[in-house]
Amino acid sequence: MMRDRHFWLVVAAGVLLGGLGVLLAVWGNPENSGICVSCFIENSAGALGFHDNSRMQYLRPELIGFVLGSAASAILFREFRSRGGSAPLPRLFAGIFMMVGCAVFIGCPIKLFLRLTAGDLTALAGVAGLVAGVWAGVRSLANGVEPGPPEQKGRGEGLLVPVGFIVMLAFLFVQPGFLLFSGRGSAAQHAPLLISLAAGLSLGVAAQRSRFCITGSIRDIMLMGRRSYMLWGFMAFLVAAAGFNLASGRFNPGYYGQPGAHLDALWSFLGMGLTGWISVLIGGCPFRQLIKAGEGDGDAGLVVVGMFIGGALVQSWGVAATAAGVPLSGKIAVLAGFAFVLAGCLLFRERSA
Amino acid sequence: MFKDTFDKLCWACLALVLIALLVLLGMKAGSGEGKAASGLDKAVEREMAYHARVELIAKLYGPVEGLRKEGKNQEALLKLDELIRKYPGEAHGHILQGEILREMGALDEAVTSYVAGVKLNGDYLDDKSPLSRRGDIQRLVDEGLKNIGTRAAANPGNRTIAASLQKVNYLRSRLAGGCE
Repeated sequence: MMRDRHFWLVVAAGVLLGGLGVLLAVWGNPENSGICVSCFIENSAGALGFHDNSRMQYLRPELIGFVLGSAASAILFREFRSRGGSAPLPRLFAGIFMMVGCAVFIGCPIKLFLRLTAGDLTALAGVAGLVAGVWAGVRSLANGVEPGPPEQKGRGEGLLVPVGFIVMLAFLFVQPGFLLFSGRGSAAQHAPLLISLAAGLSLGVAAQRSRFCITGSIRDIMLMGRRSYMLWGFMAFLVAAAGFNLASGRFNPGYYGQPGAHLDALWSFLGMGLTGWISVLIGGCPFRQLIKAGEGDGDAGLVVVGMFIGGALVQSWGVAATAAGVPLSGKIAVLAGFAFVLAGCLLFRERSA
Repeated sequence: MFKDTFDKLCWACLALVLIALLVLLGMKAGSGEGKAASGLDKAVEREMAYHARVELIAKLYGPVEGLRKEGKNQEALLKLDELIRKYPGEAHGHILQGEILREMGALDEAVTSYVAGVKLNGDYLDDKSPLSRRGDIQRLVDEGLKNIGTRAAANPGNRTIAASLQKVNYLRSRLAGGCE
């Protein structure tokens, strides 16, 4: 195993994700949110004018870096392939509901572990939920639930998402008048633009080469145990994040008073459970969807579009949880998400005669 | 993709459109229309609205501040009750109420008022905001953890004290930062 170059690629991706996840917070991103795909999408959707929460509007350069780094790497290593056409509308809605799950927990699976390695014990309920969700997803796949195989397409469909993110990159530097940037609140906290962009690009390349992803790691650990490279990548991610948190004095163990966290353990469990379940069914967590969209995967591209819609809706409709807890609309949205997944499992199941 | 006339026509038109787009973008950048476009610059409009709001708050709550300076805290609280009923979505009344209650030594009630204010508007926690009360809230949390925390430990079954401690922890969590 240790002689395989891919093993070391996965470990390096884990170290990079854990290290930059903490360092970006040291350099200016919100506490425990050095990397949080769902928060970044909510911020970016706000910056583009999709929602009006004036404290959540900033076009996050890391997000642009993830997609463009992945696209550059895929093109360089001749892995860029336009593909898609597998259950497009359900994937769009899957993207929306993944954001609902993340918003109710307050963070994506990456942030879940960044919070935990910073000593936030409220994240434990989320960990249990994510593991349960991934397990449910694995069981669903084992029982024949399959959104359908993607078609290989020789056309330029897969270019649309990377081109969209190039336009966003241009917006970031030109800063047209319609773009909104928060002057206060968590979106006003950010690392310097070029550092954020460089971090995003390097993570985009590393994740594209290694195929590293949080829910994918948990799934592979369940299926293959110690034989899975992802286990070691995941361990490297946790050790790096914990190490950098300790070294930078950001390790504050406790249950109360944690940044960007609430005490509704049941809803943290359900929010991450929903995200984990959907992630397995559609082939990756929110971060992995961005990477795949950069590689030319039109299906993942549609999930990304769904995540932007979801990022706007959770803010506009008051679905997102706060330190005060989970609002009623957030609880309703999570249950609607589970109804969506369960109905999908029934409709997309291949039953043996 | 260069096989027939239709392909070539499409390529030519695409090139033309892209050139026109670049020219228009260049003209826009040259004229300085990009950021200065008054109709589109939402950031400036928002900043102006924010400053207007801060001024309006100062005007609305001016009488309360006046009563406080004169040491008439009870009258100030009565006036605040009236203003909170009149503007239920405005956080400033709750924050002022919290400040007065704290001065009067009613710590639990002060915490409740601050929580109500911060829930309505997080600007009171931001260093950058002209409305910022971050230092005051930090001191309130420190005092609350000591005072209410001790009482909660001594009376584990008391739900009222537990609720107050939960509110202190909410403020603590908001002070710690993170995504909202």
